[in-house]
Order: sequence, then C-alpha cells, then structure tokens
Amino acid sequence: MSKKWNVSKIKIISIFFSLLLALFILVQIICVVTHTTLPALITSVCSREIRFAIELSLITSLISTILCIIISIPTAYALARYDFFGKSLINTILDAPLALPPLVAGVGLLILFGTTSFGKALAEAGIVFVFTPLGIVIAQFFVNVPFMFRILRGTFQGINPRYEHVAQTLGCTDTQAFWHVTLPLAKNGLLAGSIITWSKGIGEFGAALMLAGATRMKTETLPISLYLNMSCGELNLAIAAATILIIISLGSLFIFERYGGFARVF
Amino acid sequence: MIKIENVSKNLGEFFLKDVTLDIGTGEYFMILGPTGAGKTILLEAIAGIYNPDSGKILMDGRDITNIPPRRRSISMVYQDYMLFPHLTVEKNIAFGLKLKKIPTEEIEGKIEDISRMLNIRHLFHRFPGALSGGEKQRIAIARAMVTEPNALLLDEPLSALDTQTREDMRRELKKIHSVTGITIIHVTHSFEEVFSLGDSVAVMSEGMIVQVGRPDDVFRRPNCEFVANFVGVENLFKGNSTINNGISDIDINGSAIVSAACKSGDCTVSIRPEDILISRNKIESSARNSFNGKIVAVIDKGATIKIVADCGIPISAIITRRSLDDMGLREGMSAYLTFKASDVHLM
Repeated sequence: MSKKWNVSKIKIISIFFSLLLALFILVQIICVVTHTTLPALITSVCSREIRFAIELSLITSLISTILCIIISIPTAYALARYDFFGKSLINTILDAPLALPPLVAGVGLLILFGTTSFGKALAEAGIVFVFTPLGIVIAQFFVNVPFMFRILRGTFQGINPRYEHVAQTLGCTDTQAFWHVTLPLAKNGLLAGSIITWSKGIGEFGAALMLAGATRMKTETLPISLYLNMSCGELNLAIAAATILIIISLGSLFIFERYGGFARVF
Repeated sequence: MIKIENVSKNLGEFFLKDVTLDIGTGEYFMILGPTGAGKTILLEAIAGIYNPDSGKILMDGRDITNIPPRRRSISMVYQDYMLFPHLTVEKNIAFGLKLKKIPTEEIEGKIEDISRMLNIRHLFHRFPGALSGGEKQRIAIARAMVTEPNALLLDEPLSALDTQTREDMRRELKKIHSVTGITIIHVTHSFEEVFSLGDSVAVMSEGMIVQVGRPDDVFRRPNCEFVANFVGVENLFKGNSTINNGISDIDINGSAIVSAACKSGDCTVSIRPEDILISRNKIESSARNSFNGKIVAVIDKGATIKIVADCGIPISAIITRRSLDDMGLREGMSAYLTFKASDVHLM
C-alpha cells in the first residue's frame, strides 16, 4: 500500500488539481443556470426585451461572421500562398486585434466613424455606425476577424499547393483550381472558423458597447442586455440572457473541438 | 516534340541552371538524378507551373514558355499522387474532362476505357484516402491520361511502392507507352528503371543536365565522375533469355550467364557487385557462373574497393581492402569472377 502511494504521488496531485479546476468552472456555470426556477427562466426568455436581444444578437453575429468569411478567405490565402513585400508586417498587424482589449478597439472605431471626415462622409451617405446596430456588426467584425483569419491561414498552409498544380494541368485556371480543389479541402477549417467567429460575435461586449452604446430595445444584444439588467436589478432577465449565452458557447465549443481540432487559433 | 532551351529557374532551395533538352515524339524519356537535383522543378517548368527566369520551352515548334498549364495539354503525376481527397475515384478521373465541358456520355465512355486499361473499375466509388499506394498511382495516371494529353510527366512514379507493386507498375507503364504511343517524361533516381523503361536518359545534378543519351551509352560511357558514380554501381546488361530445365540461360553479347529466375525473351540482367567472388585461380564450387577476365580498373571507394574486369562484358565486383592486399590484385592481371545463379536478377 505504502509503495503504491510513493509511486503515484505526482499522479494523484496533478489529477487532484485538474479536478479542482474543472469543479470551479462547473460550479460557476451551475450557479448561473440554477439561480432562478425553470418557469421564471422561461417567462424571462419569452419577454419582449430578451426576445429582442436574442434576435439582434443572432442577426448581427450572423452578418459579422459572413463579413469575416468573405474578407478572411482571400486575405488568408494570400498570406498562406504568396511571398510579397511587407508580408510579415501585414501578418503582425492582422493579429493585433487579438491582443487589443475590446474596449480600446471600440474607442478606436468610435473615433474613426464618429470624428473623422471619412466617418462623417459615411454618415452623410446614410451609413451610420455610431449608436446603431450597424455599429455592433462592425465591432464584432473588427474584434473577431483575426480568429477567422488565423484558422483559415493555418488551413490553407496545410493544403499542399500541388493539388492546385495538378488541377491546373487538368485544365483549371488558377481561380478554378481554388474553387474546385482548395476551398472544398478547406471545409473543416472554414466550419471551425465560422463557429468560433459566430460564437465570439454573440458574446462581443466591450467594442460594441463603445461604438453602438447600450440602448434598451435598440442596440441591446444578449451581453448588453445582461449588463443593463444586472445594473438595474432585473436579475431574472439578466440570468436568462446569461443562460442563453452559456448554451451557445458550450455548443460552439463542442462543434469546434469536433471539426477544428487541427486549426491553431493562438 | 518538347524542346527545352537554356531554361533557368531559381526557387531558392531548388534550381535549374541552363537546361537544354530535346524530347522526341513518342519517346520514353528518363530524367535521372539524386534527391535535390532539380528534377521535379524541371517537370513543373515543362507543365507550366513555374515560368522560367530565362530560356524557352517549345512544343511541336510552338513557344509555350509563357502559356498557362491548362493550355499546354501536358499532364503531370506527382510522386505522392495528389488525388483530390474530397472526390471519389470516379470524380477524380473525370475532373479534367468535366472542365472541358464534354458531354456526360462521352466522359463516361472515356473513363470506362482508361479504367479498364488500368484495371481500376472496381474502385470507382471509393475515396482516395482508403486506397493502397499502387491503386492511387493507377488512378493518378488514369486522371492524367484520360484528357488525352500531348505528354505525360511522371515524378518518381515507382519509388514509393513495394517491390511487387513496383514491378507490376513498371510493366503497366511499359504497356501504356506502347499502347498509346504517348510521350512520357519519367523522373527517377534509380538506374534500373532507366534501363528497363527508357528510350533516352538525361542525368541531372545540381540543377544542370550533365549527360544525355541512350541508357546503354550513358551506362557504358559516363562522361564524368558524377555520372559514373551515380549509374555505375551495378552490373546491368541487356540480354536474351531462354528457359532450360527451370533455369534461364541468358545471352549477353555472346557471353552466357545462368540465372535462377525464370524469364524468357529480351530482359535486363542485374548482379550486385558485392555478390561476386574474385579469385586468382579458377575455383570449383556450386556457383553456376564463372568468368575469366582481365582487371581493367581498381577503384578505391574508401572502405571497399571496386574492381572492374573485362570478361567480354564489363563486370564490377566489390571487395574489401584486406582481400585486395591479400590477393595482390592490380590492373592488367587476370582473375576469375564467380557468382551464383540465384544472385542473377532478371527484369
């Protein structure tokens, strides 16, 4: 018995710490979802305000994810396939929003769209970002595009360019080779990137708060709703928003782990 | 058919330097060289994947140097096959034809024909991930051949296969060449392949072509030490074999060699130099082959010594330095070379 203890001391200590950490995370999730009763939760989720927040979150995150995909595919492909002047600098700049606190990103966006002549010109043309749902979309896009970009860049780097070479000898233009071969092969990375971008978009708070503000029933996404209702003591509504966010996060994590295990985000 | 004139290309790690080649229509042309010699880039330059930094590539007299790959009608098969993993075998083969907007019935007919020739009909609905190396190779060749290209480029098609599959595939390539009459450019690092398949061979080293000629000529008359070292390591002969009582009697330019392998007709004979026994006097043994010859070369290879004796045909043997000293062998001396019938390999 004593011998067995000697052999596995490090095993027992390390497993103990991993259990402790898992317990800590589990307990705080359970605390949130069990704070109210189920009927109260259902009533809150069905309230006009929470339904508005769900809808706004889904729409803005969907649009910002699509934007991230559209912009990231060519960007990631260029940086994975070609050598050009300034490539490493561009790589560094594109990663910057990952390290930037979202609040700071929001301030930057607010200054860009609110005070510069570029922003004013856009506003005059009817494209208003400040304190509008459009601002939420652009804030989500700005903060989350590096995730999509990095996953896709890794995916494209992992696809042997010889697939495209063969496709070209068989009659493809380089664009056709990309569409018929490289993009289908990047399917898993694209799916994983979309899931993580979308779920981060749903949870985006700091940058959206700065640019779009926290106006009830106007720019009220789920995280904003959580914040507003927490501040004014509407605990049931706050918990409802939090519970939905937890479900979305855990679901996304599961899908990401399943399809995007090969893609490196950090 | 394909003329390469002073082509240079620098890709950093790999490069081509002033490559000039003339490949005839219907020729089975081999490019031989060690790893890193630039053989694959040469194929890619011919296929149009890379534009050369300088020089010209002509096809049937037409300058194709800056024409994109899709308009060259030259197909390429990479060493690692590069089958599209997201498509079934059938769709892989049909890939090139679909792009050409050929009617579906015609596509079906063509892939049926090529699949019968390469015996891959039964694999149509499988995905490439689940196939063996030999099967993948056949499918890659089918995909390349079905578009009826002007030339077929093969990048080390046999090196990744096991011995038996390699032998089958080699026969298959010979068949494809004789049935279709297509021009084939085949890259390899094995001189045995050159000998058994090639009409002509170009030897490459460090991005340059060092010798071009018929395999026999390059083998017998290497023009520099590199070629001699690279191709001259083995005893390879072309001969004619007849089977008698379960063993093969092979006639090589009047010299008779006995092999335990059974194969009749024209064949390539190889004997590993380390399987050959050298003696000053004739020895009685169970070995079926014994030749008397004059030593024409004693080559110091470091740990071992290579001895080349003229026995009607030039035969090389490898011995240790100790044996050389003990026997006192020198150029010009007469010696006996003895080897077993089971050490004589036929291709």
